[in-house]
Amino acid sequence: MHNVQVSGEDILKRQLELAEGNRRLMEAKNVMAISVMGAIGSGKTSLIERMIDRLAAGGHHVGTIAADSAGDDDHRRFLAHGASSVNLNTQDDCHLDAHRVDHALGHLPMDDMSVLFIENVGNLICPADFPLGTAKEMVVISTTEGDDMVRKHPKIFAQTDILVLNKTDLADAVGVNPERIISDYATVNPHGTAVLTDARHDVGIDELLAALGL
Amino acid sequence: MHEYSVASEMIDALLPKLETIEGRVVAVILKKGEMRILSDHALSNAFELLAQGTPLEGARLVVELVPVCVSCAACGYEGPVDHVSDEAFHFAVPILSCPTCQSEVDMKSGRELYIDSLTVQTPSEANPA
Repeated sequence: MHNVQVSGEDILKRQLELAEGNRRLMEAKNVMAISVMGAIGSGKTSLIERMIDRLAAGGHHVGTIAADSAGDDDHRRFLAHGASSVNLNTQDDCHLDAHRVDHALGHLPMDDMSVLFIENVGNLICPADFPLGTAKEMVVISTTEGDDMVRKHPKIFAQTDILVLNKTDLADAVGVNPERIISDYATVNPHGTAVLTDARHDVGIDELLAALGL
Repeated sequence: MHEYSVASEMIDALLPKLETIEGRVVAVILKKGEMRILSDHALSNAFELLAQGTPLEGARLVVELVPVCVSCAACGYEGPVDHVSDEAFHFAVPILSCPTCQSEVDMKSGRELYIDSLTVQTPSEANPA
């Protein structure tokens, strides 16, 4: 038997190229794009709603891509807050990819927007492997999922620069110490920024926007 | 759970290359960056299943890990990183920070996913005279 070298092209090369295309398009249009990943039910949509309100008050027009395996609940919520939104059903796929984002961008008023939030499917594994071409990435978890989320999913936290810990108002009720989560995050990502929020009561949103550079 | 789509892309990329190779592919060597969140077990299963009925049927998928390597603009360090050793994590997690001066770093390797080589058995190797 013998070994034959092959070209060594990245298997996901097409995805990487599409992500780069998205990044260039958004840069050219001066749209600051933020990828919002996170656990199911962690409050991704609520956080984006609060940020839309703040940004709109500051004169920004916000776009959103609402990705879920099915339904349009998040999409309708964003529209109700005045965002331009595209609903994107991944039809049972567990993550968004750059190709789908590329198509969604064609349905958004890119010339009128200054900020775009791309809400990924609720999942702490697959989305980390598929860059979308956004300028920033954040990952959202909440106190109600327990204080071991970083230890259970270390790789996504090790490579995402902003951690949002939401539902801090419920920490005592569910017996979770937020400090433990923040400490785990600092261990796997010493240069990351952790932000504590309570989206329901509008707490920590300004700090989150500052962390995102908005 | 995106191992099936990755295995499918892998097979699609490989099949045209086989036209110029004489013999049977017995192993496919895949290089996977340490930061990739892909299960080796699920990848191998997906590959084995999707290869059925193609010239890759029966080939084994061998996954070789590419460690995270970084460069540090602050002190000029280039090389591998430290890993989280806390037992609570149960497996090694690369830390994206300079191991010498603790500054932020650029990741130079660790996110790859590519086919490096094939192990091929020619008809004469399979049936030596």
